Amino acid sequence: MTADKNISPASYELSPVRELTIKTEAKGSERPFSESLLVHNVSWFCQFRWLVIVTLAGYGIVGLFGGIVDYFGMRPPGVWPFVTSAVLVLSNLAFLYLARTRTAPAQIMTNLWGQITVDLVILTGVVYFVGSLETNIAFTYLFHIVLSCVFFSGRQSLIVTLMAIGMFAACTMAEYVLKILPSMSIFANSLRPEYASPVLTMLAFDFFLTIGIWLVVWYLASHLSTMVRRRDFELAETNRRLVAAYEERSRHMLTTTHQLKAPFAAIYSNAQLLLQGYCGEISAEALEVVERILLRCRRLTAEIQEMLQLANLSSTSMESLPGTRILTTELLEWCISQVESVAQERGIVFKTDIRPVTLVGAEDHFKMLFVNLLSNAVIYSQRNGQVSISCKQGPNLEPVVVIEDNGIGIPADKLPRIFEEHYRTKEAVQHNKESSGLGLAIVKHVAEMYGIRIRVESRPGFGTKFELIFPVLDESS
Amino acid sequence: MAYILIVDDDEDFAQTTATVLRNEGHDVQIELDTESAVQSMKNKTPDLAVLDVMFPEDISAGFELARFMRHESEQLKTIPILMLTAINTKFPLGFGPKDIDDDWLPVTDFLEKPVDFDVLVNKVSKLLGQESNAD
Repeated sequence: MTADKNISPASYELSPVRELTIKTEAKGSERPFSESLLVHNVSWFCQFRWLVIVTLAGYGIVGLFGGIVDYFGMRPPGVWPFVTSAVLVLSNLAFLYLARTRTAPAQIMTNLWGQITVDLVILTGVVYFVGSLETNIAFTYLFHIVLSCVFFSGRQSLIVTLMAIGMFAACTMAEYVLKILPSMSIFANSLRPEYASPVLTMLAFDFFLTIGIWLVVWYLASHLSTMVRRRDFELAETNRRLVAAYEERSRHMLTTTHQLKAPFAAIYSNAQLLLQGYCGEISAEALEVVERILLRCRRLTAEIQEMLQLANLSSTSMESLPGTRILTTELLEWCISQVESVAQERGIVFKTDIRPVTLVGAEDHFKMLFVNLLSNAVIYSQRNGQVSISCKQGPNLEPVVVIEDNGIGIPADKLPRIFEEHYRTKEAVQHNKESSGLGLAIVKHVAEMYGIRIRVESRPGFGTKFELIFPVLDESS
Repeated sequence: MAYILIVDDDEDFAQTTATVLRNEGHDVQIELDTESAVQSMKNKTPDLAVLDVMFPEDISAGFELARFMRHESEQLKTIPILMLTAINTKFPLGFGPKDIDDDWLPVTDFLEKPVDFDVLVNKVSKLLGQESNAD
């Protein structure tokens, strides 16, 4: 390939994808329950309704015996408890059926909305017949308000509350203001004192209704808090298992490194024994074979290490990262020292302009990032070339590291693919057969983990420039 | 001439290392597990211990032996320790910071397998306080 100085450099930018930004889309208060928990709650809601049905039907049956209600000075209820119970039975069966057959989260939420709406309508009827203002029955709306706060989002539960207010207001307006409905109460007409029920009966009813409401609220709240505690426990248990799995994975990685590298170390050592004459003289042809064995051993060992690094990075979460403050001067010097021997072999000189800038993260990850980029810069430079490394703060105080070589360069059409695993340009393979093609994939993973923007500029025949723009350091972290 | 103890479960590798070090004029003993190594060191204190990290029955037995030598044994406290291991010393995957902390694991030096003989000879000479021509 002939290099043309007039060709402008092609550029490509690897945009960082931060794990954390993906996770924060749904606000905590808007998150729905898990599917299984929703189904469980719908069934529980229906079971709870059977109790209400039994109570209403019981009251209706007692009302059939005129003597009992007369004794307490109450009005015979007539058929409304039976009609209400029947409507509740039918709707409850329908909701239970739907809960078992329509199990998608959206369908379950519709089911819950249906139950709460039907309940509120029926409850308004019950409130009217029992006595909307004469008794404290209206407090039973609280059950649905509390339940909707648990099942629905803040906005949705407010809608339920407004529905309850609207229905109760409509009932009392129709009964006492507009007088569309006759005034109703379980007590003998309480608004006309001459026929009023005995005060004791009214007090006793309100007393037991109040206690009943307290008990139901206790039941609802304790049931819900038990549910929350169980979820907490399950979450803690899941977390414990995840930590154990993470430790197991680390141990597995370690064993794998050892199992894969140890045999090569033995082969390498034995080949060195032959090559260095510890086992006597061998022919020149045999020496050449031994040298090839050594070379392949060294390359394979490096590849195993890169594969393990990549696997380790792929399964590392941001949450588990240590937030160590690292000064770029020491870090970059260390990274340069790692590639210095190869650079010397190839007659490549480093030109450095490194200002002290602080990076926050795991030191090992930054080492992987810079060693891979520096090693590429050295390997793909022409003999006696130059690799320049600069580090400074950008205009917004963001750390910027630039690694530039005057090597073989990357053709413009191939730039977007260089961060893919095992991808190597034809030119790169011709220049250096030994690389695994994993170095830039490792760089990409580290960049994604830390939100680092990488801008690559390259001109075939003239070199490549990697500009790394780190996120601005959050001083509060 | 120094007395060097190599503790490594990989006999092939240990033998080649021993050959190289014997060739340098040292007296070399090989132990294939850490328990025998402790016994051997108590019988005859080496001038240098070359330890592997992972052993079949315990993946960090080499680290534990190093800790034992440094913290629990008066006799073995001052012996220089060279960790010669397949674990990458630049990016020690799988080990926590505690494992590679200097106070917690005060080994004298690390070398990663596979190792070039001249690097090994040079490092051993340095640890024994001898100058070497090899670089």
